[in-house]
Amino acid sequence: MKEIEELDLPGDIYYSKEHEWAAKDGDLIRIGISDYAQDQLGDIVFVELPEPGASFERNEEFGTLESVKAVSEIYLPVSGEIVAVNTELEDAPELLNENPYLNWIVEVRPNDIDQYDELLSRDDYLAMLKG
Amino acid sequence: MTEAEELKTTVLHSYHLEHSANMAEFGGYDMPLWYPSGTKAEHLAVITQAGLFDTSHMAVITVEGSGTFDLLQHSFSKDLLRCQNRGGGPLTEGRSVYGLLLNSDGTVLDDAIIGQLGEDRCMIVVNSGMGSAVGAHLKELAQGEVTITDHSDRLGKIDLQGPASARILENLFSDPDSVLTDMAYFSFKGDIFPGGSAALELKDGTRVILSRTGYTGEFGFELFTEKAKALNLWQMILAAGQPFGLLPCGLAARDSLRAGAMLPLSHQDIGNWVFGYTPWSFVLPWDNDGESWTKSFVGAQRLLQSERDYTYGFAGYDPRKISAGSTSEVKAEDGTTIGKVLTCTTDMAIGRVEERIVSIATPVSKGRPEAYQPRGLSCGFVRVDRPCLPGELVWLVEGKRKLKVEIRKSIRPDRTARAPMAQMRSS
Repeated sequence: MKEIEELDLPGDIYYSKEHEWAAKDGDLIRIGISDYAQDQLGDIVFVELPEPGASFERNEEFGTLESVKAVSEIYLPVSGEIVAVNTELEDAPELLNENPYLNWIVEVRPNDIDQYDELLSRDDYLAMLKG
Repeated sequence: MTEAEELKTTVLHSYHLEHSANMAEFGGYDMPLWYPSGTKAEHLAVITQAGLFDTSHMAVITVEGSGTFDLLQHSFSKDLLRCQNRGGGPLTEGRSVYGLLLNSDGTVLDDAIIGQLGEDRCMIVVNSGMGSAVGAHLKELAQGEVTITDHSDRLGKIDLQGPASARILENLFSDPDSVLTDMAYFSFKGDIFPGGSAALELKDGTRVILSRTGYTGEFGFELFTEKAKALNLWQMILAAGQPFGLLPCGLAARDSLRAGAMLPLSHQDIGNWVFGYTPWSFVLPWDNDGESWTKSFVGAQRLLQSERDYTYGFAGYDPRKISAGSTSEVKAEDGTTIGKVLTCTTDMAIGRVEERIVSIATPVSKGRPEAYQPRGLSCGFVRVDRPCLPGELVWLVEGKRKLKVEIRKSIRPDRTARAPMAQMRSS
């Protein structure tokens, strides 16, 4: 288990309370899971992804990650339409352990871009982890 | 005091923390779930090379005195006069046997391995935190001269599991040939308890019990030693195992390995309900007709009555799982709820090749594709209210999640637990 100081938490993206990250890429937002999430889950052996075109509300479950020990839901930190899913994860779910930032999960067209700015900054997320 | 501070720790706890293990509570102990190499690498290492487990949380009791046999024959589910050589012979010195300690109502107090240390002298290995409960249970049943001692807090226990285990151990003994000869499955050497004479020592003089048993379904050993020697033993085995790809392994890999090997977890797959029709009926002292018992024992009467439920192993079609316990249920193909999920994990060494389950350890000649990298299959145990046949499909349901799984008599093929010692030393 990583110490909080050992976590890789880039400062140029945002985080959710459920340990997803969100990064703006033009009009779209890429979503993944944080280093903390992948470290806590352990080896991820299966990723259940949504269909492109599906829409979700903010904080709605859009897929699941399975580690050896548990099934974990993943929640969309901003409401919107899924425009792309990272299909590489279907055959290589371990990519989320290897590099959780390079390996995004879905790309979303947000309904309300203000929701992005309401997410946690690196410092806020770190403060939350430290409790 | 916080909950974490109340947890017990094993003698290897500092090693686990220093090596960044992901820790969690198990059986009242703060135990490693996995190390940074990850559960999948650990699970696969045990099947292809070897893995090392801290199992010092388990409890060890000795029973000594002239009443030993009568007490264990009365309290243990196996017939100690007929448990060797496929039911033919009695338990003898240096041999051990797996079975259950039942309550009089047919429920399971714990599962156990009994090893015969000498005349009127046995060791009993039971689960984490069960030393005092099992000790008290035996004391209540004891008649005649019997001394029951719980050694759990003064021992360390380390499991070395996987096909390279014997080759790793060879480096630890000055005369490995004499140690590793005549070590059949479920036999052991050494005696580290007070009054023991059968000493087995490593090169450096550490006294151990070396037992050819384990909880992974793979070839390997369990080693018991004094608490003060355990960290050194752990480090010595890791060093000796380095050229063989030995990995320290956590409880997550232990759980996925044992589930794939169809081994029950006490208090989860068997426990405080009447022992029913299960994959583990071999623990009962069946007579030749398979209708009654060869001896009387605690809980025997209840197990001959019919109202008992059914436990089966299962395997899925991909790695997806469902939570065991009260949030999920088992449904028949027609949608009727028939029971609940006891264990559900992923055996990451197996996959389906045209419906047949194939392991990374399956020889190519027996159907393993070259360059085989299976994604794993969910597997575990369900407890249901009706008989099912192998091959029957049932659904595991939890909220919106629904997994189709197949009732199985065995899950991971080509396991090495019973492989001949000579073969494992030379390969």
